[in-house]
Amino acid sequence: MNRQMKLILAAGIGLAAVVGGTSVAFAMYQDASAQLRATGKVGEQADGYLGVVGSADATLRAQVDGINIKRRAYYTDLAGKRGAKIEEVAAATACEIFSSRVGSGQYYRLADGVWRQREGNAPVPRPSYCG
Amino acid sequence: MTFAILTRLRFGLAAAAIAMLSGCVQVAAPDKPIEINLNINIRQEVVVRLQEDVRDLIKKNPGVF
Repeated sequence: MNRQMKLILAAGIGLAAVVGGTSVAFAMYQDASAQLRATGKVGEQADGYLGVVGSADATLRAQVDGINIKRRAYYTDLAGKRGAKIEEVAAATACEIFSSRVGSGQYYRLADGVWRQREGNAPVPRPSYCG
Repeated sequence: MTFAILTRLRFGLAAAAIAMLSGCVQVAAPDKPIEINLNINIRQEVVVRLQEDVRDLIKKNPGVF
């Protein structure tokens, strides 16, 4: 195999990796956020975004960032429609997430910055502004 | 294969790769880094006003929330 053939082969493998990675991402899209919370490596924050509990490898970091980017887009959209700040929409969403989406044994973090684990079916304490 | 064909092939593949990568980057990269600030000052009446909207948002996007 000469050098040019190797280059072409490498490009092909690179393309296959990108396409493969994309389809995997789509396959897990339906409940990606819940799956990440269930690993115990990712938790919900009072600011309306996912956070990494402890240290994250690059793949996990990328998954969390990807979801947070989508969240920010939704928050921005709704903020525009309702004449609210993006942070206010994000915080209001956090209130709902804390009361309905954080499962047993999953992690959350309030304004004190400490990650806590939901014990059994005990209600998750919500940020003070939730009302 | 002649050198010219190989070169064209390579350019084609490179262009395809760049197109796909830029497509991915548009999805994956933020316009600017998302700043996580937990000490935000939020007015409770605004949160209450937005409650129905955010419930709807969460319900419609189960993969994101």
